[in-house]
Amino acid sequence: MSERLIVIGGGGAGTAAATIAKRVNPDLHVTVFTEFQDIAYSPCGIPYAHGREIPEFNDLFLSTVQRYIDDGLDMRMETCVTDIDLARGTVTARNEHHGFDKLVLCTGFMWEQPDVPGANLEGLHYVKDIRRAMEFDKELDSIKRAVVIGGMWLGVEMSGGLARRGLHVDFIDDGPWLLSELVDPDVAEPAQEALEKLGVNVRTGTRLLGFEGANGRIRAVSTSAGELECDVAVICLHKLPNTALASAIGLELGTTGGVVVDDHMRTSAPGVWAAGDVIEVPHGLSMLPISGLTGSHAYSQGRVAGANAAGENRSYDPVWIPWGFMSGDYTIGGFSIGETLAEAMGIPYVLAQGVGVSRARYFPGAARTHVKLLAEPGSLRLIGAQLHGGEGIKERCDFLAFVAKRGATLDDLAWMENIYSPPIGALFEPMQIAAQNGLAELAQKREQVPV
Amino acid sequence: MTVTDCKRLLRARSEYVLRLAAMDDVGRRYPGCVTKSALPRDGAFWRYVFVPLYRRVPWSFKRKGMRVLRMTARNWPENARRFGEPWRPPPNGTRASGGGSLERSRESSERPREEPSAER
Repeated sequence: MSERLIVIGGGGAGTAAATIAKRVNPDLHVTVFTEFQDIAYSPCGIPYAHGREIPEFNDLFLSTVQRYIDDGLDMRMETCVTDIDLARGTVTARNEHHGFDKLVLCTGFMWEQPDVPGANLEGLHYVKDIRRAMEFDKELDSIKRAVVIGGMWLGVEMSGGLARRGLHVDFIDDGPWLLSELVDPDVAEPAQEALEKLGVNVRTGTRLLGFEGANGRIRAVSTSAGELECDVAVICLHKLPNTALASAIGLELGTTGGVVVDDHMRTSAPGVWAAGDVIEVPHGLSMLPISGLTGSHAYSQGRVAGANAAGENRSYDPVWIPWGFMSGDYTIGGFSIGETLAEAMGIPYVLAQGVGVSRARYFPGAARTHVKLLAEPGSLRLIGAQLHGGEGIKERCDFLAFVAKRGATLDDLAWMENIYSPPIGALFEPMQIAAQNGLAELAQKREQVPV
Repeated sequence: MTVTDCKRLLRARSEYVLRLAAMDDVGRRYPGCVTKSALPRDGAFWRYVFVPLYRRVPWSFKRKGMRVLRMTARNWPENARRFGEPWRPPPNGTRASGGGSLERSRESSERPREEPSAER
């Protein structure tokens, strides 16, 4: 009898774990349990489908369940695992027991729910399941006003999408600037302006106090700045690891609330791996565990977990977290930490800032690219960055995270080679300009120090 | 309440108050870009004792302290390869992020069906 692997969760981590495990060991019997009816779709595209930048919701589906079945996976759709018995090696779903030799937990996340009156009213929407999003999308044709709550990136994307759809959108965030948990004020400012250009009414420094209803349905959001009438409220607070099953079987949980894993995605229980939003992984700079990363992180972790469950010996690195997204028509991004987080953690840093252009300045479409680099004093090793502008922000953030992980310094960046080709790259690379400015400023400071 | 619960609470609370204090400081550098925060500011001990104390301790000591308190991740490699150092096989197996394995060559023609799903 072949070994049996059960994967719980059909998100990015779960599907990656299952497919890689089957590929590594074709004799393995791999079963995937998911509570949802779909698999292999892109939830990250949902705000853009609401905004009609993606014409059809169906465009977000990338594969069918049948294709996974054809590849030899045992797919249990709309089947919620309610219990795990590690001693017997069984999971319980729909009152049936299913045996396993190895287990990969990819139970994902839940949205933080606002702890205010009226949070159980109809008309509060959380972005997660694509079927629910498709129903919500139909509602959008008949409503006029939406309030988006929470200063995380999904809130920015949803605000933009709903505004493009023609709704009156109020976006409330209790921080002193947009996305204050993530970005610095100088980066938030153009992002906010871009949202406002789409018609979003951005209200920073505004606290959610409650939801007001009529006949069981939301009619307004009560805030510290007054009452905001609405037909729907979209809640975009923090992602919380969904550890109900992990906790029930006694897996070690960490300081973020996520499942503790080692660099092989092994949990504290033998024969059990975990990946995706349910786990915590260390930040490469501080080694402090963090959770709630991106889909690409979940996918990579799922690959490691699946390969190891199938008999390989793979490891996953601490993360440097390149990130980026659109705020209206504007792009912001970065990696690791910015000024605010460095200050909060008490990590010393020097700044190197510069502005360049994305193409030759005379070439149509050239956009200004703002780069702010953070480096460790002394070694000048890169420890973080925040960027904003037009094209090429994403690629620069990926690049910076990668070279920082490998120990690059401001000197390395200041003398880096770059592509000069008018339609795709300027003579001076913006990251290079920032690094050179930073070095020049440091040299100037050294000269000013009295001997 | 378990030790893990205490660590979680300690981390959540300390991160919150440190972030508020950092927002105040960074916000002052960019006065045109900020509004008055609506984040709750209760807890005099945290604001007036913990934050100033934490800020007086150098980062290297803080890092060591976090390690001693087992707040940092265990069983993870900490030292990144330095820039310019040639690639070498990892001591304990194939890394997730490359290594020129057979699988990578397979993936170049892979259909895009493993797109992250229920994750962001």
